[in-house]
Amino acid sequence: MVPDAAAADEEKCLADGIGRLQHNAFYMHRALDSNNLKDALRYAGQMLSELRTSSLSPHKYYELYMRAFDELRKVEMFFVEETRRGTYSVTDLYELVQHAANILPRLYLLCTVGSVYIKSKEAPAKDVLKDLVEMCRGIQHPVRGLFLRSYLSQISRDKLPDIGSEFEGGANTVNDAIEFVLQNFTEMNKLWVRMQYQGPIGEKAKRGKERSELRDLVGKNLHVLSQLEGVDLDMYKETVLPRILEQVVNCKDELAQHYLMDCIIQVFPDEYHLQTLETLLSAFPQLQPTVDIKTVLSLLMDRLSNYAVSSTEVLPEFLQAEAFAKLNSAVGEVIEAQVDMPISGVITLYVSLLTFTLRIHPDRLDYMDQILGACVQRLSGKTKVEDSKATKQIIALLSAPLEKYKDISTALNLPNYPRVMDHLDNATNKVMSTIIIQNIMKNNTCISTADRVDTLLELIKGLVKETDEAQDDELDEEDFKEEQNSVARLIHMLRTDDAEEMFKIISTVRKHILLGGPKHLAFTVPPVVFSALKLLRHLQNQDGDVNGQEVSVTQKKIFQLLHQTIEALSSVPSPELALKLYLQCAEAANDCGLEPVSYEFLTQAFILYEEEMADSKVQVTAIHLIIGTLQRMNVFGIENRDTLTHKATGYSAKLLKKPDQCRAVYACSHLFWVNEQDGVKDGERVLLCLKRALRIANAAQQMNATRGSSGHVTLFIEMLNKYLYFLEKGNPQITSSAIHDLIDLIRTEIQSDNTTSDPSANAFFSSTMRYIEFHKQKGGSVGENYEQIKV
Amino acid sequence: MASRRRMLLKVIILGDSGVGKTSLMNQYVNKKFSNQYKATIGADFLTKEVQIDDRLFTLQIWDTAGQERFQSLGVAFYRGADCCVLVYDVNVMKSFDNLNNWREEFLIQASPSDPENFPFIVLGNKIDIDGGNSRVVSQKKAKAWCASKGNIPYFETSAKEGFNIEAAFQCIAQNALKNEPEEDIYLPDTIDVSGGARPQQSSGCEC
Repeated sequence: MVPDAAAADEEKCLADGIGRLQHNAFYMHRALDSNNLKDALRYAGQMLSELRTSSLSPHKYYELYMRAFDELRKVEMFFVEETRRGTYSVTDLYELVQHAANILPRLYLLCTVGSVYIKSKEAPAKDVLKDLVEMCRGIQHPVRGLFLRSYLSQISRDKLPDIGSEFEGGANTVNDAIEFVLQNFTEMNKLWVRMQYQGPIGEKAKRGKERSELRDLVGKNLHVLSQLEGVDLDMYKETVLPRILEQVVNCKDELAQHYLMDCIIQVFPDEYHLQTLETLLSAFPQLQPTVDIKTVLSLLMDRLSNYAVSSTEVLPEFLQAEAFAKLNSAVGEVIEAQVDMPISGVITLYVSLLTFTLRIHPDRLDYMDQILGACVQRLSGKTKVEDSKATKQIIALLSAPLEKYKDISTALNLPNYPRVMDHLDNATNKVMSTIIIQNIMKNNTCISTADRVDTLLELIKGLVKETDEAQDDELDEEDFKEEQNSVARLIHMLRTDDAEEMFKIISTVRKHILLGGPKHLAFTVPPVVFSALKLLRHLQNQDGDVNGQEVSVTQKKIFQLLHQTIEALSSVPSPELALKLYLQCAEAANDCGLEPVSYEFLTQAFILYEEEMADSKVQVTAIHLIIGTLQRMNVFGIENRDTLTHKATGYSAKLLKKPDQCRAVYACSHLFWVNEQDGVKDGERVLLCLKRALRIANAAQQMNATRGSSGHVTLFIEMLNKYLYFLEKGNPQITSSAIHDLIDLIRTEIQSDNTTSDPSANAFFSSTMRYIEFHKQKGGSVGENYEQIKV
Repeated sequence: MASRRRMLLKVIILGDSGVGKTSLMNQYVNKKFSNQYKATIGADFLTKEVQIDDRLFTLQIWDTAGQERFQSLGVAFYRGADCCVLVYDVNVMKSFDNLNNWREEFLIQASPSDPENFPFIVLGNKIDIDGGNSRVVSQKKAKAWCASKGNIPYFETSAKEGFNIEAAFQCIAQNALKNEPEEDIYLPDTIDVSGGARPQQSSGCEC
């Protein structure tokens, strides 16, 4: 039958059943209202006959059952009232209901009267219960039997001779209560398991589904047991658990074993599990090889882990119970027993075990490593793990210690940690590496020995090394930047105050990052360079107390390393970056007083400028950087300085555009006038530069005039400001007449240029003039220089 | 018959796993409490006699599994409920956030005839924990939610210390009583004057 039609059919079946049930219930109530017991029982029997159907799935059957169940509550109330009133004796009723024609209605009614019977205490509860649980054997149809027994379980729930119950005492002991529930449980489990083997083979899947729906009826018995006051630890240990496990193991049914183990773990309290761990765990390897043990065992470990952190008082219990050793060996045995367990399952088990260990034995790093080692053993011989479930689990496994200790150093102390990581594919390695870096950044962990740095960088090589796979092209540019930026951030966390060790760290980092591809280097070289520069400054600061010669040796070593590191960038198309770094190094060498070293770095910068920089805009930026750096240098002798300034000025004048030339050349003027004490103050050469810049500005202006475009009056105003600057600084070569000429020139330009007047140029000029005015009026040593200027 | 029907009041307790549904019921019915967590499987009830305005009623209190995997048979037992008790743990935000889901799920599954006015009661349990210091859901917040859902009565309880349990269940019983009977009154097509039994129609075996 097609599923839809089958469903509609079933729906109709249920509706019909409910209809007939309501019909009989109606007459049953009428009979009850008129105290006609005979008729009432007859209609009740007919009503309950609806539960004899075989055409409903468990879900639908349950609906029908609930209707009947509600009706039976009214019958029960009638029985209670009438026996109280003395109309009938409960023993008579107990006999009377057994006249029902069919066994199923008979047993429902019997259970209902049984409930009243126990309540009346006219017979010992244990006898009635025993009778009922035995009588129910009469139903061997699994679905009907399961529901009948669940009815029995429900109506007897508050009448068990449990400790503290009104039904306990005399001949009734808690043992009877437990025996009753266990027996009902055993019978129900048998019915439930047998269901798998009844009916046509073709409907096996359907039966599996139906059985799965019915599982709570069986499991509820365990819930009832767990709620019994009398099931204390001893009772649980000696009777309840062994009896349940016996049934679970012996039924040899996959579904039942998985579900019932889960139930045991969930319904009984944590401390019971802890005290009976050995018994419970010994059942696992005895289960069917297809049972999903890993989930159940993980649930157990998770529960115990949560229990361990719930209160500090319980921790000694765990130690006393040797929980780790027991769980560890159980995990091993289960993995051995289930050869077909997927690797993701294996790792899941180890994740749970590790979580457990982290909570109970945070000080036992050896346990941790033992677990990781076991994982490595299971992973070895296999190719890299690519199954997404498994990789997720490995990430969880490796993240757990990081989260717990908030310190990567702990993980670096576990020899098996990197070995587990070795089994990850590139993508997962990257994910894990990122997690490690994030952990370091979040907890602000400094890694302060070269050995650890080496281990760490080896660990995260997925991010550092270039991978030979072509997949890299597909990598999202943004993601790549993000990754490499995080590596760069990490490099700054690799540090110590011990200079010697720091040098080792830097060398180690360098060794690792140079394995990276051109794209990596652009991100990773700068932090290494700056780490090294920082070390240099550090050495300089402690110059006093360390042997000077030793320091300079180290300095030279560092500069050598810097040189080689930046050189690596030349293979990379990022000359601008390399140039900036060379200039940084040149300045650092200058600060260390190492003239040849500084000269060498500047030379490298010039070579890059000459050979690698073709774009005019790039050139402009670069030459200004060079000029700026050079200006701050004081280490050079006259000869070297001349060579370098000559080069800088030369390149400035060779820039593509006239305005750029002009600006670069007037910037060069600063190379000959350093305001510091003992600084170069070569007024003549300053003037030479300014004059040269002025000539270029004139040429630019003339070129514009021929083209008819707007003038470069701004250039002249900038020049005027340069003149004023040097005038202020007391350069004797700057004459007031030169300044007057320049002011006149600008005024003419502005007036002739009125068609395309440039408001910003006008504003610039007026504020410059106001500035002159201001100083003239202010007087003082600076004002003196301005005296000669007439506005 | 009508009077007999009205003597029984059916109450369903819903809420996330571990909020204390079973403990609340056990404290109310048996005056017992255990600190140990024990999951509930399926659904079952305990009964308790309760007096309202000099009349005795039987409260049928259904405790349910908070974990979905222990609710394999569905929720047919919601049918005919007179009151639904929604429980959350004042120390667990998620359990409060989920109240809405539990409420809606109940209204869909039980489909009461007048969902707008169906009586709910909200209990904020475990107020004893850590002297109230670990509490994350404020009384104000809980009350605001209850007000927004049609003024649901709200109680703060401690199943462990038995605090407010009696008052809460008294309110539950009173509200359950106010609920109009859900059950559609069955009227047979023909009145069987002879009182004779109808022939068997079941298709099951003769057991």
